[in-house]
Amino acid sequence: MTSSKIKERGVMNKSPRIILFLISLFSFLLFLSIWEYLVDSGTMSSRILASPREVVATAIIKLTDTAPDGATLPQHIQSSMILAVTGYVVAAGFGAILGLLMGWFKRVDRIVQPLFEIFRPIPPISWIPLSILWFGIGLQAKAFIIFYAAFVPSVINSYAGIKMTDPTLINVGKTCGASNFKIFFRIGIPYALPMVFTGLRLSLNSAWMTLVGAELLAATSGLGYMIQMGRSYGRPDIIIVGMLVIGLLGALMSFVLTKAEHHYNRGRKA
Amino acid sequence: MKNLFYKHESFFYTLFTIITLIVVWQIASMTTSMTKVFPAPQAVVEKLYEMSTGTFAKYSLFEHIAISLERVLIAFLAAVVLGIPLGLFMGWSDKVDAFVKPIFEIVRPIPPIAWIPLAILWFGVGETPKIALCFLASFIPAVVNSYTGIKYVNPLLLDVALTLGAKPRSVFLEVAVPSALPAIFAGLQNGISVGWMTVVAAEMFGATSGVGFIILKGQDLSNPTIIVSGMIVIGLLGALISIIIRLLERVICPWKREI
Repeated sequence: MTSSKIKERGVMNKSPRIILFLISLFSFLLFLSIWEYLVDSGTMSSRILASPREVVATAIIKLTDTAPDGATLPQHIQSSMILAVTGYVVAAGFGAILGLLMGWFKRVDRIVQPLFEIFRPIPPISWIPLSILWFGIGLQAKAFIIFYAAFVPSVINSYAGIKMTDPTLINVGKTCGASNFKIFFRIGIPYALPMVFTGLRLSLNSAWMTLVGAELLAATSGLGYMIQMGRSYGRPDIIIVGMLVIGLLGALMSFVLTKAEHHYNRGRKA
Repeated sequence: MKNLFYKHESFFYTLFTIITLIVVWQIASMTTSMTKVFPAPQAVVEKLYEMSTGTFAKYSLFEHIAISLERVLIAFLAAVVLGIPLGLFMGWSDKVDAFVKPIFEIVRPIPPIAWIPLAILWFGVGETPKIALCFLASFIPAVVNSYTGIKYVNPLLLDVALTLGAKPRSVFLEVAVPSALPAIFAGLQNGISVGWMTVVAAEMFGATSGVGFIILKGQDLSNPTIIVSGMIVIGLLGALISIIIRLLERVICPWKREI
């Protein structure tokens, strides 16, 4: 809806779509050729940068080859994704429910809210050393960190969302004789949904980023581990493949979430 | 007194919770054997005092803090100076947008932390990779928010300015940019907190100073007291940074109420 408004504006340059597409294509190709040139000409040593062609070749080889880090690309993806998705779903789900309850029931709120104010500014990454000390290098430590990373933003946003429920609507509910629970479910939660989804999206970013961090520091598999090994072996091609896959999967998960949001939030402006 | 309480009700509840938390924490650490894995508050305070008066790995606590802050601030300023204009131009001109988009959209979803191995490969383990990572982390939200900020400027304002005979240039500078400022500030807020998080992460790889280094050193020494002390410092500084940005926002764009 907004894009049509923008097009109506007098000030904005309005270029035909085809021109814009050509500009994008040109820019992309220019980027690739500069990159390729930097490596081929030796301006950037092949020990620190791989050319786009090498990156593509490595990505294809890595689909089935376990060298040099002991697992194929699909295995690394599987390892990271299972952990990220399960950790995220559990943490963000619990977080959203807790946040909603906190915002609605005042007594819970007063006790729990300050705790979140204390924990919120501590980045999830900085929990890594402590959790390695507690759980060692492995699944448990990563699960703990991801849970923490996804939990906090989910709680905070659901909480803020339900706090903003229009009091008029609540009063209408009361006047019509609905119980507090019924108002919570039929008015509070639907009203808070856009903010809940904002929280879910932030949680997803946070969980994915933190997982990569945890895998860089302490893991024996996963995409973060793969790029870390790429560095140890001086293989920039593997690092770049890993980074692109990390970015792609992150974008893919956000996309799925956005689709879900549109589905549940039909007819509502976020 | 009663009035004072109601005025700052939430503050008192927060204070109450913090005190309760510390008391429970202290009692638990005196009566149980949890101090093996989680230090007592007393131990943390002593450690913090010891680190700030003496030295920890060649620097005092304040020097570690200053080093981390310096890295974040240099990177953040660079991100502001380069990121905001880029975002504004992208939002204003669809040609600039079309040119930058393809590359930007590839880079954007890659978490800054995932750049760590490449940054180390390129720049070694000195100051440069940390500042570069931090720059990237703050740069992306600065661009994205300036971009959306200017894209969603109320068209009415632009039309009014045009009708009154303003030139596109002054519409951009005097109408569009000021009304995009709140969104830009949201981006800066976001950018500096991601930047802070990234500097902590970057300092956990091959650094010899900074707050991220403190907690990693604590891990190497298997010393939870050092780790928790470091985490508290990181959290406090993170909170402080975002308070400062919020104050700055109130000074620079007082017309913003709510987003």
